[in-house]
Amino acid sequence: MGNSPIRNLWQRQSMRRFFIRPEAMIIIGTALLFVIFAVIDTRGWFSFFTIRNITRFTAILGLIAIGETLLILVKEIDLSVGSVYGLVAIAYISFEPSLGLQLAFVAALLVGATIGLLNALLVLRGKLSSMIVTLGGLFFYRGVIYVTTGGTVASFTKETTGQWFVQLFGGNWILGLENGVGWFLLAVIVFSLILFRTPYGNHLLAIGGNAVSAASRGVNVTMVKTIAFVICSVLAGLAGIITVSDLPSTNVTIGQDVELEAIAAAVIGGVLLSGGRGSILGAALGTYFLTALRSELITLGAPPLWYIAFVGFVLVFAAVVNSLIQRRLAAGPSA
Amino acid sequence: MKSVSLSFGTFQALSDVSVNFNKGELVGLVGDNGAGKTTLIRILSGLYTPTSGEVYFEGQRITRFRPRLAIDLGIETIQQTVGLCDNLSVARNYYLGREPVKRLLGVIPVLDFAKMRDASNRVIRNFGLRESVNVDDEMALLSGGEGQSFKIGRAVDFRNKVIIMDEPTNHLSVRERAHVNDLALQMRDQGLLVIYITHDIFQVHRLANRIVILENGHKVIDTARDAMSAEALEQIIRDGGREGSKE
Repeated sequence: MGNSPIRNLWQRQSMRRFFIRPEAMIIIGTALLFVIFAVIDTRGWFSFFTIRNITRFTAILGLIAIGETLLILVKEIDLSVGSVYGLVAIAYISFEPSLGLQLAFVAALLVGATIGLLNALLVLRGKLSSMIVTLGGLFFYRGVIYVTTGGTVASFTKETTGQWFVQLFGGNWILGLENGVGWFLLAVIVFSLILFRTPYGNHLLAIGGNAVSAASRGVNVTMVKTIAFVICSVLAGLAGIITVSDLPSTNVTIGQDVELEAIAAAVIGGVLLSGGRGSILGAALGTYFLTALRSELITLGAPPLWYIAFVGFVLVFAAVVNSLIQRRLAAGPSA
Repeated sequence: MKSVSLSFGTFQALSDVSVNFNKGELVGLVGDNGAGKTTLIRILSGLYTPTSGEVYFEGQRITRFRPRLAIDLGIETIQQTVGLCDNLSVARNYYLGREPVKRLLGVIPVLDFAKMRDASNRVIRNFGLRESVNVDDEMALLSGGEGQSFKIGRAVDFRNKVIIMDEPTNHLSVRERAHVNDLALQMRDQGLLVIYITHDIFQVHRLANRIVILENGHKVIDTARDAMSAEALEQIIRDGGREGSKE
């Protein structure tokens, strides 16, 4: 009896500590989803085909969601990632004959970085809303794809596809899973460390919480946001490169609507659109959640269009639950 | 500051203001809304660049006005609503902008949480915060007075030379207000320059060595505390600084 109040308190404290984590709800949601699908579709759910498919699409969308998360944390947004994803992928393929794979890779990512820099310049110097600037980017870079390719995209030759450098991003070296999954997991670890363990991450969170206060402490808000814009575009580009390294052919619509899914994944993963709160792990799990949901709905024979409706429902539900929980537990001493 | 002026378009926020601030002094900067108090301190904290005039710090002429430079020179502004991020822990807030790092594997710079917790723990214990406040708690859990005390503690701990306190006791309880004012006096006694900005002439008259009154962007009074009573000073503010021309 004597130690039960103390144990109670400890339990409550650790519960509270878990629930104030931005990714608390998506951890529970993902676990539930996993169990439900494992029960209703045991064979299909654990089949290699399913696992490989879900992890592959999670990796590609997840890389974009990580970049989007960094921007949402500082109260900005990038709607152009879908077009950048496509443009960088197509640039990689188009540069390859003249530059060779490695240089084409660098050049294509530089295209992505330049777009990120331009977004940052327009938003921060031009004092424009990132919503407007990147919405413009969404149309503009898609237009660039149409104009430069004339509507048809060449693909890598058989020989090129076989080269180790293409395989590095498109092969399946570990357990038969796509190498893109490895890159994605690496990105989750690296960006989690950056966000929560480095001064830069501290500045990102601070700006999202209170930009004026951060600036008053000497944080260079423009620089921090610029870096976030560049990282976001480069990660979207990397996702594009991973996609075309794996698929032998592609087309001009590659990456359409990806920006909205990436934002949805981040929000479902507990990243608050009001800034300053969220995690890379949450965004990654949010991506897995959406991808797994889509894959299983198709497997279970639900009409494919249902997926969109589900995303909408989950998105709003997650936003409501996350903001309720965080408001209740973050404010006011543990009660 | 020598004949400093600053205008925004046609609006003259400060006209030809010259003030000397010395260390070990607590200067009360008083004036009604729109008198130019905020403009003056924003110049000192590097947010605004004066349109004309000269600003010196320890004999050096300042030509570039940047918040970072003010911070590096040891000028810290404590404002009621600015300076803390509610979504970050106390420890993260403490070192915001000058985070201590250690090298992971000898190369990768990561936050030195041990040091961050240590320093912020010292401050919350020495500056009268509740026992239950933990350095890992989010700033949102602290009361207004605790936030102010924390900011003051941080400012002292970073060995600043100039502390500008902008309406430091607004919205505070009576006891918290007394605590913050005590801290202001302690900082002065440690040889810092404290510039205390307020509407409340009676409050600052009790604390200050010197009182400067601004009105419509002009300096109307710059007097030793003992030379004038709080009532006389209040009359000057009420008259819109007209009495000041007699000086």
